[in-house]
Amino acid sequence: MARSRRILRRLLRPLIAVVVVLAIAAGGYFYYLDRQVTRQFEGRRWTLPAQVYAAPLELYAGLALSGAELEKELGRLQYRQVPRLDRPGTYRRQGSRIDVALRGARFADEVREAQILSISTSSSAIVGMSDSRGNEVPVARFEPLLIGSIFPTHGEDRIVVKPEEVPPLLLAALKAVEDRKFDHHHGVDPTAIARAIWANVRAGGIAQGGSTLTQQLVRSYFLTTDQTLSRKLREAVMAIALESHFTKADLLNAYVNEIYLGQDGQRAVHGFGLASQFYFGKPLAELDLAEIATLVAVVRGPSYYDPRRRPERTRARRDLVLKVLAEQGVVTPAQAAAAAKRPLNVITRSSGGYYPAYLDFVRRTLRRDYREEDLTEAGLRIYTSLDPRAQDEAERALEQELARLDKLHAANLKKTAAKDAAPPPPLEGAVVVTAPQSGDVIAVVGGRRVGYNGFDRALDATRPMGSLVKPFVYLTALETKKYTAATIIQDEPVDVRLSNGTHWRPNNFTKEVYGPVPLARALSESLNLATVGLGLDVGLPSITKTLQRFGLSRKPVEVPAMTLGAVDVSPMEVAQIYSGLASGGFRTQLRAVRAVVGEDGKALRAFPLEVTEIADSQAVFQLNRMLELVMERGTGRAARAVLPRGLVVAGKSGTSSELRDSWFAGFSGSHLAVVWVGYDDNRPTGFTGSSGALMVWSRLMSRLDTVSRSPPLPESLVEVPVEFATGQRVEPGCAQDAVTIAVPLNSEPPYKPGCGHDPTFIDRAGEWLRDMIRN
Amino acid sequence: MRPPAWKRPRAGNLPSRCAARAYDVRMSVRNLLIAAACGFLVACQSLYGPPAPPPAPAPRPGTPAPPPSTPSPPEPVPTPPPPPAPQPQKQFRLTAASAALVKQARSQSVKGEFAGAISTVERALRIEPANPLLWTELGQIHLAEGNAPQAESMGRKAAALATGDPNAQSAAWRLIGDALRARGRNLDATEAYQRANAAAPR
Repeated sequence: MARSRRILRRLLRPLIAVVVVLAIAAGGYFYYLDRQVTRQFEGRRWTLPAQVYAAPLELYAGLALSGAELEKELGRLQYRQVPRLDRPGTYRRQGSRIDVALRGARFADEVREAQILSISTSSSAIVGMSDSRGNEVPVARFEPLLIGSIFPTHGEDRIVVKPEEVPPLLLAALKAVEDRKFDHHHGVDPTAIARAIWANVRAGGIAQGGSTLTQQLVRSYFLTTDQTLSRKLREAVMAIALESHFTKADLLNAYVNEIYLGQDGQRAVHGFGLASQFYFGKPLAELDLAEIATLVAVVRGPSYYDPRRRPERTRARRDLVLKVLAEQGVVTPAQAAAAAKRPLNVITRSSGGYYPAYLDFVRRTLRRDYREEDLTEAGLRIYTSLDPRAQDEAERALEQELARLDKLHAANLKKTAAKDAAPPPPLEGAVVVTAPQSGDVIAVVGGRRVGYNGFDRALDATRPMGSLVKPFVYLTALETKKYTAATIIQDEPVDVRLSNGTHWRPNNFTKEVYGPVPLARALSESLNLATVGLGLDVGLPSITKTLQRFGLSRKPVEVPAMTLGAVDVSPMEVAQIYSGLASGGFRTQLRAVRAVVGEDGKALRAFPLEVTEIADSQAVFQLNRMLELVMERGTGRAARAVLPRGLVVAGKSGTSSELRDSWFAGFSGSHLAVVWVGYDDNRPTGFTGSSGALMVWSRLMSRLDTVSRSPPLPESLVEVPVEFATGQRVEPGCAQDAVTIAVPLNSEPPYKPGCGHDPTFIDRAGEWLRDMIRN
Repeated sequence: MRPPAWKRPRAGNLPSRCAARAYDVRMSVRNLLIAAACGFLVACQSLYGPPAPPPAPAPRPGTPAPPPSTPSPPEPVPTPPPPPAPQPQKQFRLTAASAALVKQARSQSVKGEFAGAISTVERALRIEPANPLLWTELGQIHLAEGNAPQAESMGRKAAALATGDPNAQSAAWRLIGDALRARGRNLDATEAYQRANAAAPR
């Protein structure tokens, strides 16, 4: 007996030791996992990608926005039309009056509570606005559209929602579908696991998961998807550890913000807050039953149940979710049945706002001032100048016109080239639109595939600017006061001996020589020879200085060909230097970012509007009048067929050698747009600035709500009608091609002989009288 | 060089000024000739008439009046030409929306919330970018904040846009003067104040 007890004791001792050691090891392992998951959980709350917002739409009496257009803007912000206003994010239309339950919103400069706004409209504009008590509201704004976020390189993007922003229905639905015992278990749910195993055995493979929400949360933290037993064990231990430290409410909120719900290129959509914007374009709190059920359906497999690519499959799963919700008593069967009748209602990319080129510009602006981590983790709110309407129109105009130009180009090639020649690749293009007085960049299109986040031509395609440089040659000349818009210059053959011994002999585009021409005509017809002569006369360094004053950052190589545009620029740079012209000789730094606001709502940095006078206003006015002639009589006249009648605009075409780049830059009273059309591999396009980029430009301008230029005439200038071809002064009605130019007082050109005002007796008497009075 | 009086855009008092000046030299030997010539000119003038300045178009956001430059040839006019049409006197006003925002900006500015005030006036400027009153307003906030160079630039921008509106011009030049004085450029400031006074409607 004693012996057997001794043997038992001898056997038991090491066994106890082993158990103790194992227990210590398990405890250590548990402690390690516990630390790891706790740290992850606590640290995780702080990585919030910066959110980027478009400019809010300002509403005021007189704004040219009809009721239908207003509804379109409400639709862009996913306001729902209802018969009775019940909650923020809804509106009701009664004839010409639209009542809107505005959402609460955080602007760069103020926080606005949710409120009711009644807007009265006419057929073309807003006539008045009032609040819920009938008081007049002079100005109000819609909340800014969320256009994206600056997410870290690992691609995780999210909008964090607070517990009170989460609809209780979503939580109930998640529990009902994913984890029925969530409120009571300690991290794992053995019965669910057993049920899952049973289901899997029956199905002969992995078909059903038994993971609790806590386990899913852990899995999401450590981003492993291999379904091994050891990983499952680790996951279970971590889930239990989490449950021991944190409340159910904390865990549920972490789940809501953490879980992966979709993919958008490099961007991984995490959390229901972002998923709600990504799929439905509105805040999570506003989702209805059908939409909540859709998101709960997506949880199970965001790529398998992708509402955009697999709508039928997703819908079937959503309807299953609805059925479960009814069975569990979360909703009534009638509610579930009604929701199941609804379509998925997922927004398309374009209406959801996806503007990679614009965001690229925003990101580059901010990188000058912020560290990458600040942008991707610190929860900043970035308010930009993007005008979604202008952006949509710019994208649409570029795509439509390039498609047309592609066909035209292919047809032209067919006529000239061999029949078996390969058709040309699709043209590329870029557009920048700004509000020149404020310097706001309101739209950027970086290429034809707008949803594609790739080569951003608006910023990175630096191409010879061609004749776009000419206005700066002419401005330099006007600023010397030696020239006016009416000065006659010679369009004659040029032969410049270059420093390397070769000769430079440029030609006009038509290969003709025009002889004496007034400055205004030389610019509006973009005559090369006259421009080179003028440029050499005023001096290349002066032209360089003018360009740099207007904001050209790089110094061009000072060769004579510079006067014809041998200066490489990006469309954004063109927008910068032309905005100085459009704003009458004042420079404003182009800006996409208006303000950056911290997570606490305090403005960290504002980018206020600043202006600098950079040119003689008299010279700029004369020049701009000449650029209006470009549109009336010169290389921009083709736009007249497309633009609204009577719209006064100014602009300039540009074409680089062998038609490789087709440019147009021009401005109205309220918009400046720059268009580039060409090929990425720099092959000839077959289009000039007038036949290519101008088509996009005029299509775009005709669709923007833009206003005529009407700068006041400086007191030192006078407007005179002259004959376009000769620059001689005429009386209205005398010459066939009279145009109006602006020149300094007392430098009016002489009258055209026999047309109008020959020095007559009265003239002579007047002169004589004046001299006498002065003496 | 001064432009001949009849070419200068002040149609209202042309004949009278001409007559007055003629009166000054009437005592000279050439008085008769002058009176005759002057009378002839006045007659010519009345034939074409000093065009009555059209009512100042109130600047409405979104639709500024078309520039007077657009060539819209009326019926052929025989020689000699009428004097250049005088620029109609403008009077810039704020729209209701801008006025509300300016009011808000002023109360922000008084409280020292300059960044907020600037962003509020900028909202108004996006509605009416060519209204000089708003640029002057914005410049005044910059000046209050201590950014005199920017205040001066805004004043110059306002002055350029205010051409034809004596009140707006005067306000813009006063701002330029204040900004220059704040920078210690008193001589330039005095000149700016003189321009402000000269522009002010009599």
